[in-house]
Amino acid sequence: MAEAIMGFTLFKSHTLGSCLQTRRFLLNQPSRLPKQLSNSTPFNTPCQVLEGKSKRASLCKVNGLPDWPLMAIIVEQMEGQRDLITEKTVSHLSDQAIKNVYSWYIMFTVWGCLFFGAMKDPFYESETYRGDGGDGTGNWIYEKQESMEAEAREALWREELIEEIEQKVEGLRELEEAGKKEELIK
Amino acid sequence: MAAAAYYILPSPKILSRLFRNPPSIPSSNISLLGSLDYSFHCSSRRGNVEVNAKKKNPWLDPFDDGEDPDMEYGSLFTDGKQEEDPRPPDDPDNPYGFLKFPAGYSVEIASLALKVRGDVRRCCCVVSGGVYENLLFFPAIQMIKDRYPGVQIDVVASDRGKQTYELNKNVRWANAYDPDDDFPVPAEYTDMVGVLKNRYYDMVLSTKLAGLGHAAFLFMTTARDRVSYVYPNVNAAGAGLLLSQTFVADNLNLSDGGYNMYHQMVDWLGRPYRNVPTQPVPPLKVSISKKLKEVVEAKYEKAGVKKGKFVVIHGIKSDSKASMQSRGDPDSLLPIEVWAKIADAVRDVTPLFVIPHEKERENVEEIYDEEASIVFITTPGQLAALINDSAGVIATNTAAVQLANAREKPCIVLFCSEEKGKKFVPQAQERKCVVISSNTGKLIDIDVEAVKNAVQTFNLSPTLV
Repeated sequence: MAEAIMGFTLFKSHTLGSCLQTRRFLLNQPSRLPKQLSNSTPFNTPCQVLEGKSKRASLCKVNGLPDWPLMAIIVEQMEGQRDLITEKTVSHLSDQAIKNVYSWYIMFTVWGCLFFGAMKDPFYESETYRGDGGDGTGNWIYEKQESMEAEAREALWREELIEEIEQKVEGLRELEEAGKKEELIK
Repeated sequence: MAAAAYYILPSPKILSRLFRNPPSIPSSNISLLGSLDYSFHCSSRRGNVEVNAKKKNPWLDPFDDGEDPDMEYGSLFTDGKQEEDPRPPDDPDNPYGFLKFPAGYSVEIASLALKVRGDVRRCCCVVSGGVYENLLFFPAIQMIKDRYPGVQIDVVASDRGKQTYELNKNVRWANAYDPDDDFPVPAEYTDMVGVLKNRYYDMVLSTKLAGLGHAAFLFMTTARDRVSYVYPNVNAAGAGLLLSQTFVADNLNLSDGGYNMYHQMVDWLGRPYRNVPTQPVPPLKVSISKKLKEVVEAKYEKAGVKKGKFVVIHGIKSDSKASMQSRGDPDSLLPIEVWAKIADAVRDVTPLFVIPHEKERENVEEIYDEEASIVFITTPGQLAALINDSAGVIATNTAAVQLANAREKPCIVLFCSEEKGKKFVPQAQERKCVVISSNTGKLIDIDVEAVKNAVQTFNLSPTLV
């Protein structure tokens, strides 16, 4: 458990990756260094690589971008043996960089859905939206129809009122005329 | 301060009473109405109606013991009808200037009138059924308008029914929502609840037979008066809990009542109250706009007839939804063969066939005449405008009959039975309406000769005029 925690704290450095590679490289040749790594956990290895007088190692990194290691070479020199040269060209991204990549990916996807989704929309191409009565705003679908009808009914009410008033006025006129005639007869 | 003085006109006694038990005020108001209209309901036709109208629902307010006998009303907003614009008079000394609210929105005094007198400023009618049922609801709308001056009436009806309100000048908004749909789309349902709630209605009337579900729908509008028909059977259980006034329908189909299908609701709406006498039920009236008249005139002139020189024939059998039948009379359409025989008897004027669907055009041309005058009309508005310009109407029991009566046009109506005729056209004589009913109870067996004779008298009338 403690080792695992140690391991996680160590995980920050990018040298770790190369060290892992190193270990794997070494593990592939168990006959050469059996004792050194027999009781060590993977995360302990970097310490061992750099300590001890019997062995020296030098690490050389090349960054593609400031945060983006492209290539790493470890040259390990041990007495009486040939140099072990570990060359690692797998490019790794740091956690931050991975987060950046994914956030860019998400942002692009969302933007793309919105942008390209809006380019060809069956609703906006449909007769409902483009057809008669639409002014291209879409508001009419919700409110305009009913307010138009309400206005038409109000107009109808005014029409009727005017008709009624006209009828009353006509009636009054007829009464007046009748009254005048009666006066004339008298 | 001077502005405030305008609003504190009622005696403090009333106000203290009002504030003492605010929750029971609306229901006590209603029970008060109920006790007053008891004698009125006794004189009404049905026996079982007044029992239900009288019975107070104890669940609505367990502490509501009816009207307080010691209650004294002041002079403000106690009796008489409401005014159209109950705004206080403008006060020139008001330090805040003239605050003008729209009619009915003067918050300081409107609430008082709402509680004391039961004013209705905004009313919503949820009308079940199609064109026919909505058309027969017109007198009720006119009555609400007369009883509560200045009220704004909105309507919620089915898609077909909503078209009818083209003919009604008293309605403000008409929304399409089918109240008869037992399983509405949840989004539409919640949307409509929200729309109705946001309009802050004072009264909601519903002609759908309510069970618990529809009652809940009405309850969610949060209107003060939730008035609805309820099922006459066990399905009404629980509906009374959420409604403030219920009418038990005579049977499961309200439309069976014919012309007076809404008689219970109309009786309740017109009930006398304090100094307001019983509001009479106005006759059915429709108003037709100029625009509609122009459109329809173009239509029938295209069909080759002239204004006042044609008889509208309505009620051709079709599976179209636009046939405008009543739900209370399913057997009310005649096949074109029978209509062709009847139309042959029309001489002085041109018979004009109204088809509810374009596919019927071929049938009419095939069976009656290649050069028959045919007009395709689906909306009640256009039908009304057509009838308005016609010499008369020959129709089965469709909305055309009621429209002809409303526009006072001579009319020959074919019914499947005599009872139906009496129900749907109660005062046939006064309305220049000839009712011919089949003896067997099926419309198809109607006596075509009798219809032809009636058409003969009908032929003479335009020449005499």
